[in-house]
Amino acid sequence: MTAPVRAGLEPSTFDSRFARFRHSSVTVWVTMLIASVASLVASFVLAVDALKLAEDPNADLGCNINAVISCGTVGSSWQASVLGFPNAFLGLMTEPVVITLAVASLGGVRFPRWLMVSAQVVYTVGLVFAYWLFHQAMFDIGALCPWCLTITVATTLVFFEMTYVNIRDDNLFLPRRVQAALTGFIRSSLDLILVVVWLLVLVLAVVLKYGDALFA
Amino acid sequence: MSKQSRIRTQELRKAQLEAAARKARQRRIAQVLGGIVILGLVAAIVVVVVKASGGSDPAVEKPKGEVVAPQNLTDSGAVLAGDPDAPVSVEIYYDYMCPACGAFEAANGEELNRLMDEGVARLELRPISFLDDASEGTRYSTRAANAFAAVVDGAPDLVWAFHQALYADQPEEGTEGLSDDEIAAIATDAGVPADVVDRFTDGTFEPWVADVTAEAFDSGVTGTPTIKIDGASFEGDPYTVGDLTEAIESAAGNQ
Repeated sequence: MTAPVRAGLEPSTFDSRFARFRHSSVTVWVTMLIASVASLVASFVLAVDALKLAEDPNADLGCNINAVISCGTVGSSWQASVLGFPNAFLGLMTEPVVITLAVASLGGVRFPRWLMVSAQVVYTVGLVFAYWLFHQAMFDIGALCPWCLTITVATTLVFFEMTYVNIRDDNLFLPRRVQAALTGFIRSSLDLILVVVWLLVLVLAVVLKYGDALFA
Repeated sequence: MSKQSRIRTQELRKAQLEAAARKARQRRIAQVLGGIVILGLVAAIVVVVVKASGGSDPAVEKPKGEVVAPQNLTDSGAVLAGDPDAPVSVEIYYDYMCPACGAFEAANGEELNRLMDEGVARLELRPISFLDDASEGTRYSTRAANAFAAVVDGAPDLVWAFHQALYADQPEEGTEGLSDDEIAAIATDAGVPADVVDRFTDGTFEPWVADVTAEAFDSGVTGTPTIKIDGASFEGDPYTVGDLTEAIESAAGNQ
């Protein structure tokens, strides 16, 4: 075997220590736990707001100088209760399930494959929904609410960690070649790079659209 | 094992190792590229944030040009509606795009009419344009306030009627707002003479509106509607009828 070939395979000590940390089950589940708790808290705040708004439609009114989060626009838009009830209720119903999954897994429970696949499917739907709302808030409603943004980011993190676990544990009934490729992908932490890029794009979109109002 | 098969096994192993090394190299490249993308994004974010915090101007460009204040303003630069000798002054800061201001008008319009008719209150209106960002780039707040200022300048008796008509047809926040033609039609319906309406699109008073906005912020106004009764902030519920009337009448009683 020649030296150059070997060099490509040998990670530096920092790399390997970082990889150990990053790929450890505890890190994965704790991240998911923190993100889902953040999501639950944000959902709770938004649900309480929605109730207040229902009691008194003017409660959230009053236009602030900071036009980004002005006028209670997000809370009173039709998109905020697209299913006929405040979207935040969805978070109240689903996030505790994720929290339970994370806590139980931290305690060493291994869930059956079908359960993890179901969780993946449902959470993917949730992710799509969260991004649809984000898009609506940015481009149709024109306002941004910090709690909604918290949910967008937290949902993204939970989705990535859940996908990570399901690829690592080969839960997704994928064709072998795809599974092998994805395993290589997460082993070399490319998923981590992807999620960082993803979140930075999100931040960039927000500052591009609202930077003037946020920082002026 | 024959020599031949040993060679074949060795070649196979070598091929596998090379394939693995190739994959590892590809991943390494992907990692580096990812790192570059991340650095690029961070740099872009920093640039945008620095630019946003450096420039003091809001996203929508400020109207340029000489500040021309409409005639018929009060000494403090407000637009007067009602009897100038009425004892109680009711100062209102508002934006034509602000839904809360629309709700305020809808709740209190009638009562304000009555209090003005009875000579109890005079209104001092201060139209500001901080929601220009919320009309998809058409600067509805500024356009509406400029039209309002033109009416103040040319047809001062009709300011309150025009003001109320604008709120009666208030567009939703975040939409393009009313077009110039629609604003003109509302003014015409309110009885504003054609020569005044024709001046709306000149934008003569846009710099003045920007000035009023800046002054409002400097004076500590943090949102709309902001209502001051005889100079004191009104802290009651501005969205249901009652509180405001009470506050105005008690101010009248104190005098």
